Amino acid sequence: MKKALILLGCPEAPSQTPLAVYTTYKLKEIGYEVTVASTPSAMKLLEVSDPESFYVTNKVDIESCLDNLKEKEYDLLFGFVHKDAATAYFVTFYHILNTKSVALVFEKDIELLEKFIKDVQENTDSEIISARAYHNPTPLRVKVDRYIESLED
Amino acid sequence: MSFCLEQHLQQSEDYKILIKNTGFKEAKKVIEKHSSKKVYVNAGEKILGARIIGIPPIPIGINDDESKVTLPYTKPCHGTAVVEIPLEKDEIEKIKSSAIKD
Repeated sequence: MKKALILLGCPEAPSQTPLAVYTTYKLKEIGYEVTVASTPSAMKLLEVSDPESFYVTNKVDIESCLDNLKEKEYDLLFGFVHKDAATAYFVTFYHILNTKSVALVFEKDIELLEKFIKDVQENTDSEIISARAYHNPTPLRVKVDRYIESLED
Repeated sequence: MSFCLEQHLQQSEDYKILIKNTGFKEAKKVIEKHSSKKVYVNAGEKILGARIIGIPPIPIGINDDESKVTLPYTKPCHGTAVVEIPLEKDEIEKIKSSAIKD
């Protein structure tokens, strides 16, 4: 079974938690074993959103995940990038894992959005899904659907 | 016992914050301006017991005379800080040996 790591950023972006649950569901649908790496506060949001761990079955603290991470440990890195620090974490995970990667880049401020996209583009060969988004997860959900469909081909 | 950056920052006051809650690029500039001697390491390199986070090449300032290093410290919700910490010579040598360029 292929393994995917979903990397979450700071939980202050409202779209992050529902999209994390949704992306986990979609990746599991196409046969991935999914682990979500997050801060303790982002993990609490996931636990309340999915109280029986119906969707998100594997959760790991972002720092211990990073500490123990090994090259090619996952077949897919799926990173949420919506802050400068999230870019730095995504690029770091990308360089350690050296595996197929996609950055889900979103922000409500168009200049910041373009900056995060540029930072990911210049420092990785990762695919990028992006949208100007904050509260409304729909523009990102549509793009996540398209990306996951492309994984099935 | 090896030096542990996380533990040092939590349990000691013997460090100086040069900037905090900033972006990685700004932090990189601060290190490069502050330090006459620098080494650069890869993202994810284990430095002082923790993986270093950022966009490579990541600068670490070296002050051999005062036995101090200056490095970025990133957390998901707090952005990047730059900290200067005192360090034993052998720990500084370990950092130098991890360098991808000077």
